[in-house]
Amino acid sequence: MFAGLERTPRTLLVCERSSFLDDKNRLSAQVEQLHFNYKVSMLLPDCSSAPSHLEAVFNSINSFYLIRKLPIHELLDIPFLETAVHQGRVSGLSYGTRIDEDNCVALMPNGHLTLSLDKDSFELLGVEGKPSRFNQRTNNRFVSVDLTDSAMAPGGRGYQRLVKGLRSRLQLKTDFLLSRHPGGGASLQALLSRYDWSEHRPEIRSHTLQDLSCPLLTSDLQSCDPHRLLEWLGAVDAHVSCENVSNSFLSSLVCPEPQSRTSGALSVSVCGLLRPQDVQRLIQQARAYLEQPQVEPWVSLTVHGFVDSPVSWGDEEHGVLKGGELFYSLLLFQDHTYQLHLATGAHDTCPP
Amino acid sequence: MAVFMDLNVSFSPEKSRMKSLIEAAAHLGFSTVAINYVFEPTAKKKPEIPTPTPIRELIDHLPVVQGRSRPIRVLNRLTVVMSDSSHFAACMLHDVDIICISVTEKLPFFFKRAPVNGAVDRGVAFEVSYSAAIRDSTRRRYTIANAVSLMESCKGKNVILSSAAEKPLELRGPYDITNLGLLFGLSEADAKEAVSSTCRSVVLHAESRKSASGIIYTMKSCSEPSSQQGAPAACSEDTPAAKRARPHLTCD
Repeated sequence: MFAGLERTPRTLLVCERSSFLDDKNRLSAQVEQLHFNYKVSMLLPDCSSAPSHLEAVFNSINSFYLIRKLPIHELLDIPFLETAVHQGRVSGLSYGTRIDEDNCVALMPNGHLTLSLDKDSFELLGVEGKPSRFNQRTNNRFVSVDLTDSAMAPGGRGYQRLVKGLRSRLQLKTDFLLSRHPGGGASLQALLSRYDWSEHRPEIRSHTLQDLSCPLLTSDLQSCDPHRLLEWLGAVDAHVSCENVSNSFLSSLVCPEPQSRTSGALSVSVCGLLRPQDVQRLIQQARAYLEQPQVEPWVSLTVHGFVDSPVSWGDEEHGVLKGGELFYSLLLFQDHTYQLHLATGAHDTCPP
Repeated sequence: MAVFMDLNVSFSPEKSRMKSLIEAAAHLGFSTVAINYVFEPTAKKKPEIPTPTPIRELIDHLPVVQGRSRPIRVLNRLTVVMSDSSHFAACMLHDVDIICISVTEKLPFFFKRAPVNGAVDRGVAFEVSYSAAIRDSTRRRYTIANAVSLMESCKGKNVILSSAAEKPLELRGPYDITNLGLLFGLSEADAKEAVSSTCRSVVLHAESRKSASGIIYTMKSCSEPSSQQGAPAACSEDTPAAKRARPHLTCD
């Protein structure tokens, strides 16, 4: 009976190694598939202050909007559909809703509207949906609607049914985070003017670490065990000491061997609602930084998705059993090779 | 998927303590708590069932649950202590929602499958409280021993885990209680349900006991006289509308 205590909840880690010079590398496709990114944190060893072009990219990331108590049927409003959703100029996620407790909503840039509903809400809404893969016993339902499909054209039966369901039967209202893609500003104004909204800039935090022990990383995949490397990267990002001093019981995490000591390293992170295009630009800047001669020939970039997002990579369903981690960590080297580690938790499908 | 609930938060007459308990529960992520009033019938004098204090008097502004945008919901609950253990079999037949498993002693009897299954069929849940395990190491052993023997007979179904906390420090977060459920012998999915969907079933079961099989219920309609017009209220809840005999159905 207690055999279950030895097992930890299932986690999935996919490790991939490739090069930017290789035509078949899938990195852009993989980055594009995670639509909603919460945080990007970069670690630049042997760097005292952020390079100016990197800072310029951080500052040029678009701001995002938070709309309070948005009725979800507003996303199906015909002017909004035609100007914003069908053109792929908007994407958003419900905020202040927990995936394993509440109903969650996501609007993808490809025009897919995804709802993760509990049993009562799904029965009230009256729209077709699939049973949730991970919460079968509690009868959750995963509803995914393609708003660009001809079946959901405004005026059609499918569209009318969904709008009627959201407007009168279910009346789903959540706080909503909306990100603006280039060219989409004007189309959002009509929607924003009707509700209480606020604009937010992504939060940038930067921290210089003195005397940091870094593992010796080479582009060979066997140089460092991925689990230990990710553990060390997480400890550095969370400012947890990896010294493992004998008189401190707070942390026993250590830097993986073999290690070297750097005089200073820069850890910089940006939090908000970030688009995959922002992540691509940061990757390009990291590669540009590596082209200059460096003591440590690597840079790491970790991208976290939202724990409470109903979708993970692509349109796959995401859930939380005990921890809804959803992130990927990219290790870039000077010779244009990279190592990519994609990690998900128990209630997730395999990353691409 | 259901919100996290803690259905056993001990009542104390000190308002500041109740306020800090409810605020701690909201901060930890519980969306619903139930304040527990305990009643122990003594044979000596006429038993007096405690009346619940209105929530407005305990705490004027309900705190928002951390991570969500709704305030916490506070319910009231009455627990009747059956002092004689032979009443345990009788409990299976009574009209109750929750059967609490005692943690203060090693239970002298073992749970038999038949009455446990009968209770599960009727929608009754078994409750295990964990705050005694936090306070005392002997009670920790009894809690785990009693919980494990319960799980063997009920196979992890219809179990709820709750705190019975008297102080805010005795409350634990919902994911921590899920891990504690693993120690009691529940599977991961069962342990998470014990804090969320099973609690929701218990609350719905309690609501349905006031109704006829959960389908029909009566509700007091508003009867405030409108002072401007001076006319009597339109709805009257005293006498139901009388039925009129349908003439064409009478038999000749």
